[in-house]
Amino acid sequence: MRRVSIAERPNWRHLAAESGFDFHTIGGQPYWDESAYYAFSLREIEDDIEAPTTELHDMALDLVDDIVRNEQMMRQLDIPHTYWDWIAESWRKRDPHLYGRMDLAYDGNGPAKLYEFNYDTPTSLFEAAFFQWQWLEQQLTRGALPAGADQFNSIYESLVEAFGTIATRIARPFYVSAVRGSNEDQGTVAYLRDCAIQAGIDCGEIAIEDIGISRDGRFTDLNDRVIGCLFKLYPLEDMLREEFGSFLPRSGMQLIEPPWKAVLSNKGILPLLWQKHAGHPNLLPAVFDDATALAPGWVRKPLYSREGANIAMRLPDGSALDSSGPYIDGPCIRQAYHPLPSFDGRHMLIGSWVVGDRACGMGLREDHSPITRDSAHFVPHAIIDDGSANSPKATLIA
Amino acid sequence: MKRSRTAALLLMSATPLLLTACGDDESTREGVYTSVESCTAQTHDAATCQQAFDKAKKDAAENGPQFASRDTCEVDYGTGKCEQRTDSSGHSFFGPLMTGFFISQMLRGGSPMAGFSSAPAFRTSNGQWQRPDNNNSVYRSGGGVYAGGSRGMTTITSAPDTAVTSSRGGFGSRGGARGGSGE
Repeated sequence: MRRVSIAERPNWRHLAAESGFDFHTIGGQPYWDESAYYAFSLREIEDDIEAPTTELHDMALDLVDDIVRNEQMMRQLDIPHTYWDWIAESWRKRDPHLYGRMDLAYDGNGPAKLYEFNYDTPTSLFEAAFFQWQWLEQQLTRGALPAGADQFNSIYESLVEAFGTIATRIARPFYVSAVRGSNEDQGTVAYLRDCAIQAGIDCGEIAIEDIGISRDGRFTDLNDRVIGCLFKLYPLEDMLREEFGSFLPRSGMQLIEPPWKAVLSNKGILPLLWQKHAGHPNLLPAVFDDATALAPGWVRKPLYSREGANIAMRLPDGSALDSSGPYIDGPCIRQAYHPLPSFDGRHMLIGSWVVGDRACGMGLREDHSPITRDSAHFVPHAIIDDGSANSPKATLIA
Repeated sequence: MKRSRTAALLLMSATPLLLTACGDDESTREGVYTSVESCTAQTHDAATCQQAFDKAKKDAAENGPQFASRDTCEVDYGTGKCEQRTDSSGHSFFGPLMTGFFISQMLRGGSPMAGFSSAPAFRTSNGQWQRPDNNNSVYRSGGGVYAGGSRGMTTITSAPDTAVTSSRGGFGSRGGARGGSGE
């Protein structure tokens, strides 16, 4: 694996505008960055990313079955007890799930290490599935990439296939939903809706703030139509604690991602996975936090933190690094410190996508901080299988 | 090849593909309604809605779920949602209150064809809608066929119902404040 500089496509901003990708620049700062790409060998992709992603996904789903039957674990995950039966029932019925992304640290040498699962509200989907794909095709056509270059990215085909497969299990009317004010979240649900419609599923859009409740506890759209199924790009743990949350179990409204994903989108899954599979090459040691001082070589993460917020790192040399954020008073876990590979001060994190139960692609993020934040750049990748991708150039920090 | 063969955009693209709709195809319109009014608002057919409701009400005791005790009924349908009833042969039992009615109509070119089928609908304690399965409550105007049968219940998945919204804004306060919720 190596980082390769490459000329940008001169018209990429125009292409982005044409495809509705209006968050390529966020707050004046670049988000989509095609001034470089990462080159992987096919072996690295298949053996070090794709296979471990499949295995970690299977291990995680296997653990759901243990957790929903175990009150102590549900308590450790800080899930309100009034929702336990609802979550267990959704797992028993295997309510259909759509997608997830796991974050991996991988430097081209040794096994990829799981940082966390983003299994409830993953974003960076459109840029991985579509815009990155278009970049590869066009750079091949322009001769800027070696002939035969490929990409680990069948995310689009997998999404349309997944929607087609679960179509008969999606209650109608079907809506996608996200907070009104976020371009990035709105872009992500617009893309999912596009894929659903391509799979033949009629699908509407509603802002999460616009959802209504009727007197008999059913959720409604702006025309008072009762919502059959809601894809919500909104944290389930937040919905449970908001005003309408208590109506969810008896509302009859189906959710995607389903309630059982609550146990996987929670960082408490990391110590539980470690307890069951201690020493697994793709796992980092993890424990539930006991609020004592953090020892060197450990990282503290809130159960529910997103976008790298409220992370506390204690590096092996004893120095400390913290990120700010809103998740200040909830329970935490600890995970063994394992740095991201660094390329000229850019720390690269792999987001490995699972659609249905298939590992089907990845998107890479680069941040100047060792903690990947929502401001991290999205950088495309290619599979270049001429042997040249195998010269390791990663230099580890720490 | 490890990548998609195509990556089409339908709605997001500035030059979307065009879908052509077929004008005279047949389709089915199904719905569960909690009142004749909500049915009429959706279908603009008050007469059919009223007939469907009356028929469902009449069928509720014969075709609805039957329980030997109030307790066992309330496990499935919720506290206070069951009543004692007597069927046409004088047999006494407990059954859930009818909370809505199901209606199914054939459409051709978007307009309803003659006839419809209807059934009583019951809401379970976990919020799902059910109706008696098989075709034991088929009603056709100009000669109804109505066969008693099994008491099996089937879950209704197509429920384009309307309900009067009593409040909005009960979701989104946390994520809205953060400016986004994805990760």
